[in-house]
Amino acid sequence: MEWNPETLQFLSQCFLHTLSPQPEPRRAAESSLSEAAGRPNYGLAVLRLVAEPSVDEQIRQAAAVNFKNHLRTRWVPSNDPNDDPAFSPILEPEKDQIKTLIVSLMLSASPRIQSQLSEALAVIGKHDFPKSWPTLLPELVSNLQKAAQSADYASINGILGTANSIFKKFRYQYKTNDLLLDLKYCLDNFAAPLLEIFLRTASLIDSTAASAGGGSPVTLRPLFESQRLCCRIFYSLNFQELPEFFEDHMREWMGEFKKYLTTNYPSVESSADGLALVDELRAAVCENISLYMEKNEEEFQGYLNDFASAVWSLLTTVSLSSSRDKLAVTAMKFLTTVSTSVHHTLFANEGVIPQICQSIVIPNVRLRDEDEEVFEMNYVEFIRRDMEGSDLDTRRRIACELLKGIATNYKKQVMDIVSIQIQNLLSSFAANPSANWKDKDCAIYLVVSLATKKAGGTSVSTDLVDVQNFFASVIVPELQSQDVNGFPMLKAGAIKFFTMFRGHIQKPVVFQLFPDLVRFLGAESNVVHSYAANCIEKLLLVKEEGGNARYTSSDITPYVLVLMNNLFTALKFPESEENQYVMKCIMRVLGTAEISSEIAAPCIGGLTSILNEVCKNPKSPIFNHYLFESVAILIRKACERDASLVSAFEASLFPSLQTILSNDVTEFLPYAFQLFALLVELNRPPISPNYMQIFMLLLSPDSWKRSSNVPALVRLLQAFLQKAPHELNQEGRLSQVLGIFNMLVLSPSTDEQGFYVLNTVIENLEFGVLSPYMSNIWNVLFRRLQDRRTVKFQKSLVIFMSLFLVKHGATNLVNTMNAVQANIFLVILEQFWIPTLKLITGKIELKLTAVASIRLLCESPVLLDASVARLWGKMLDSIVTLISRPEQERVQEETTEMPDIAENVGYTATFVKLYNAGKREDDPLADIQDPKQFIIASLATLSARSPGRYPQIITENLEQANQEALHALCSNYNCTIV
Amino acid sequence: MADDSPASHRRDPIKSSVGNVAAQRRRQNAVMVGKERRESLVRAKRLCRVGPSGEVDVPVEENDMVTDEEEFLLEAQTSSAVEELKSAIAYQRLLSKSEFPPVEAALKAGAIPLLVQCLSFGSQDEQLLEAAWCLTNIAAGKPEETKALLPALPLLIAHLGEKSSLPVAEQCAWALGNVAGEGEELRNVLLSQGALPPLARMMLPNKGSTVRTSAWALSNLIKGPDPKAATELIKVDGVLDAILRHLRKSDEELATEVAWVVVYLSALSNYATGVLVKSDVLHLLVERLATSNSLQLLIPVLRSLGNLVAGDSHTTSTVLVPGHEITDGVIKVLVKCLKSEHRVLKKEASWVLSNIAAGSVEHKQLIYSSEAVPLLLRLLSTAPFDIRKEVAYVLGNLCVAPTGHDGKPTLIQEHLVSLVQRGCLSGFIDLVRSADIEAARLGLQFMELVLRGLPNGEGPKLVEREDGIDAMERYQFHENEDLRNMANGLVDKYFGEDYGVDE
Repeated sequence: MEWNPETLQFLSQCFLHTLSPQPEPRRAAESSLSEAAGRPNYGLAVLRLVAEPSVDEQIRQAAAVNFKNHLRTRWVPSNDPNDDPAFSPILEPEKDQIKTLIVSLMLSASPRIQSQLSEALAVIGKHDFPKSWPTLLPELVSNLQKAAQSADYASINGILGTANSIFKKFRYQYKTNDLLLDLKYCLDNFAAPLLEIFLRTASLIDSTAASAGGGSPVTLRPLFESQRLCCRIFYSLNFQELPEFFEDHMREWMGEFKKYLTTNYPSVESSADGLALVDELRAAVCENISLYMEKNEEEFQGYLNDFASAVWSLLTTVSLSSSRDKLAVTAMKFLTTVSTSVHHTLFANEGVIPQICQSIVIPNVRLRDEDEEVFEMNYVEFIRRDMEGSDLDTRRRIACELLKGIATNYKKQVMDIVSIQIQNLLSSFAANPSANWKDKDCAIYLVVSLATKKAGGTSVSTDLVDVQNFFASVIVPELQSQDVNGFPMLKAGAIKFFTMFRGHIQKPVVFQLFPDLVRFLGAESNVVHSYAANCIEKLLLVKEEGGNARYTSSDITPYVLVLMNNLFTALKFPESEENQYVMKCIMRVLGTAEISSEIAAPCIGGLTSILNEVCKNPKSPIFNHYLFESVAILIRKACERDASLVSAFEASLFPSLQTILSNDVTEFLPYAFQLFALLVELNRPPISPNYMQIFMLLLSPDSWKRSSNVPALVRLLQAFLQKAPHELNQEGRLSQVLGIFNMLVLSPSTDEQGFYVLNTVIENLEFGVLSPYMSNIWNVLFRRLQDRRTVKFQKSLVIFMSLFLVKHGATNLVNTMNAVQANIFLVILEQFWIPTLKLITGKIELKLTAVASIRLLCESPVLLDASVARLWGKMLDSIVTLISRPEQERVQEETTEMPDIAENVGYTATFVKLYNAGKREDDPLADIQDPKQFIIASLATLSARSPGRYPQIITENLEQANQEALHALCSNYNCTIV
Repeated sequence: MADDSPASHRRDPIKSSVGNVAAQRRRQNAVMVGKERRESLVRAKRLCRVGPSGEVDVPVEENDMVTDEEEFLLEAQTSSAVEELKSAIAYQRLLSKSEFPPVEAALKAGAIPLLVQCLSFGSQDEQLLEAAWCLTNIAAGKPEETKALLPALPLLIAHLGEKSSLPVAEQCAWALGNVAGEGEELRNVLLSQGALPPLARMMLPNKGSTVRTSAWALSNLIKGPDPKAATELIKVDGVLDAILRHLRKSDEELATEVAWVVVYLSALSNYATGVLVKSDVLHLLVERLATSNSLQLLIPVLRSLGNLVAGDSHTTSTVLVPGHEITDGVIKVLVKCLKSEHRVLKKEASWVLSNIAAGSVEHKQLIYSSEAVPLLLRLLSTAPFDIRKEVAYVLGNLCVAPTGHDGKPTLIQEHLVSLVQRGCLSGFIDLVRSADIEAARLGLQFMELVLRGLPNGEGPKLVEREDGIDAMERYQFHENEDLRNMANGLVDKYFGEDYGVDE
């Protein structure tokens, strides 16, 4: 793309239209831009447009955003095949020109464009800095010095912001020589200019603040921003280790740091956002001194006392304020670091710990207006923080961390003081419950947060209070309160306590309170009914010492009707329509309780109507997953009890499932196939004609092309093959299935799926049905072996041959192969089976191939022939390697053997297995317990038939180590090869 | 790149789950970002206070600061002294008057060309000496002052040769040492001008002060990061013997300088390391460690020992074999260092031990049953962070055994159980909580051993009791992907909720 008036005109028009409220011109502009983006020098042209003063600012802004995104996708295009269309990369000459222009353009741009270009620059820096962009840092430094001369803080902050983003990598990468070389380069070039600008700005702040009225906020604000950026850069450059330059100039840095912690700047801080600005600087300072405290405590020691007292007094003020979160959190983290360091004795003085507890911890743990707001307005976020550990940066949590930190060295003092505090809070509540309810909440929070986490995710223990007593006197009254909507935060805290300490509460007590929990499902507060559902769900998972569930179906069956009713009602509250806690609880209850038809009927009604709703717009993967699990477990349990219910389920579910199929709701297809499979399995033949329609889907190659569908389709195919082999064998359907196999197996990216199909067929059909197709199957496989031979394919082939052998016998295997080409079996054996066998991984696969291989050796006349003794020996050598050596010794770089079935429950491209619709993984050799034993016994039996023959073959063909291993196995199983 | 570059210290890439405790020897990173931890005696640049003739008695101010007034005076005097430079002595007096000689004024007045002239061949020894002396002190100044010596370098190098008198050669070596101490760029200039061989030859005789100065200058010259100079030095005929001889016999001050040479040889050059470990140097280092109490000597000696252990597997596989006398000797001196008051010694001794502990199972048993373990355990709970981290590497390595060629370690359950019983787990969990990602990784790796390796499923219970779950959960959203996956994987595997349990 050439830079000329036409280009300028074209791009300006396009960017103008992208801002249009009309969809038509907007889409047209977007598509011409994305088409133009593939042309060389597009990025450069857009950058020039951004810099063109004659163009409207709005257009240039849109262009700047586009430029940044353009670089993101094309500077170094991703190699990930899962990513959408592969982008053509920007070429080197264009890159060089962009790199030459961008710094000066960024610095002269208006603030909004500057921030876009700064991000774009960071994108380049991430890949090219420093080695492929040696001019960047010198250019930044010289511009910084120039801007400093004229006190041009717009430019200064632009440069510092850029430096900050390119240096961030030093904060989380492992220390390698390469990283240190980069770091050293940055330090050599930037450490001194950084200090210079930091000190210059510091003195500007001092002089401005000293002037009448404390200086103008307009002047001061960019200065504070500048100092904050310097502090963040300081953090990055100091993260790996203490650089020499910073050690030499520690006094200068620390002097200013302390000033910002101890000085007030009333003219700026009088406004809320001004205070926030200065606080951000202070928070950045706190992070820096925490870093020094933790990693360079020896060099920092001299400054420690001053900083500790500065931070302490700062916190005493900040703790009382309801905003200022970030500062409170970083400041408390600093004290926590000190408390766990070798200098913890700072806390040992009389009265220090009580005072910290009183003036810092308690005020920060206490609920603030912001917390109440989140509780009401955004319950998901509240729960994430309060219950699921995403509270690492909340004041409440960090205040408790500080207590834990001090307790590392002063456990008894901390415990004593906190116990007293808890008592005080509870008495204050008792004196006036409705006014002082937050005191009680605070007490509950302290107990829960200071407890030690236990296995199972959310269970805990504590030695702070006597759990039983505390529960009875503090928690139970809340749970028994008749008004489910009064003081919802306190209720939520109480239920959370119940959930966390569920293992400690005895069964009769729990039962007494169970109706109350069920009642709280009807609370209006989203948090409260979510917590009630969560508590019930977790209670049903509690285990006794021996591993048995504490609460069984007979325990909860009496409550089930009302419980299910309240759970479905809870899903009708605003914003709880897709409440994952409630749905998970439904799943758990259905899994535990006895499912009679009285229960099944309303449940199936409730679940299908929800299913119909979410099909329209699947948005909450976790909720939907539990929904499908619930449906699956309901079907399975109800129909296992009463097979006549199958048709009722079919009647109510089919419409929903049909919708999923016909509207191609991608996210739900794997679920739908799994549910179909479950229903097919529960059917009694003959199978209803409705299903044959589904079967046609199985025969469509398109269904198989999406890897996320494949495991579910295999499962469904298995179900059909088992339940309806005749239907499969009609109207040429089997050859259609094999056609799918053929298509999938030819490409390395789908060959595994192809083998899934083939293995399912081979495993489930009689040899008589298969035999007409075998030549064709072998032909396909051999052709693929010739054209595209990969290790993965060879392994799949060995597994397939093994499966064939154990299902249909060695003779059928050898004969069908040799029917394609005379004697090809021995060629395949020697060239592929024997070398690949050693590489097999996976427990079931290993067992299958090992057993099949030994059966081949012991049963097949072809191999018992004396002329192939060497092959026989080599095969045995491979078998012994396979069974005697650990996997990592046999297999080098393991490529993923199975399609990537991730466990996470996001559902774009991954298959999510429905636990409750699943079958146990099939072991085709379930009757063989110990494959090693089987192998050794087979060998012993074989050798007994022709004594003297095999020991010689073994000596001649097995590796020394394998001979020893074989010997050891023999003596282990008390067998001999004679 | 043959075998002559410092092996970048990389451990096995961590695969799906957690991977292994170090189990590999760790070299110090070759790239230096931090301040070089050398005591003032051996710092990179040194002023020469006493004049070459020894007759000039320069009063040194008690207070190192020079007042403005004095400085002004000095500067004025300097300019006039340079003007009349025949008298290098006058200038020399001025330069040595204070901690901060008026170098700037001298340079401004054009001292360098005059000094170079004085260095020309055929000058009297006295004049050579004085000029070199002046240059030495100019080079001890700020970077740009050191750089000002560039035109003088060829002549300074030329005067190192055998034809020069010893005092002249030594003074030139000192000046060059200061130049080399300035940085990589000037080191490369010196190396390309051939400074190394004559300096190396100055180390050969038994002349105390000459050897000391040349060793110091060499240690500056071979600092790298390019290993070439170090390799070149060890290849110079007689250098290895000289090093051994001086380490065996010299006084502590000289041994200290020589030990620093060994530090850089062994830190940078695999070739030099290979040569050194096959010599007697390990014995000599151990001997020095056992007999000396000078911190200044102990630091480079200990560092050298550590480099030799980390740098060449020959050291642990052939020399420090369990059962050999020297191996017990090494453990003994390391225990001595662990007991020392000095933080540096404790840290470096732990580092050396961690590398020995990365050796064979026998090495691990030897350390495990030595006096070191109780000391290490105490350090793990009480020492400052950097020492704790090194100690953790030792203890971690004691618990894993390498199996065969692919290097994947398996557990040594006996060690693990006993160390955990003696309370080391909480120390590792503290590391998990630290901001240092290497330390955090180590902590997680050890936690994995505990979870997997303690008998009867005790591991999860212990980790739970020490609040380890909480420590791991901090990594739920960490920026370092590796740590995030490790921590999340462990929590899921050992503490995951029962999901989908029906009956």
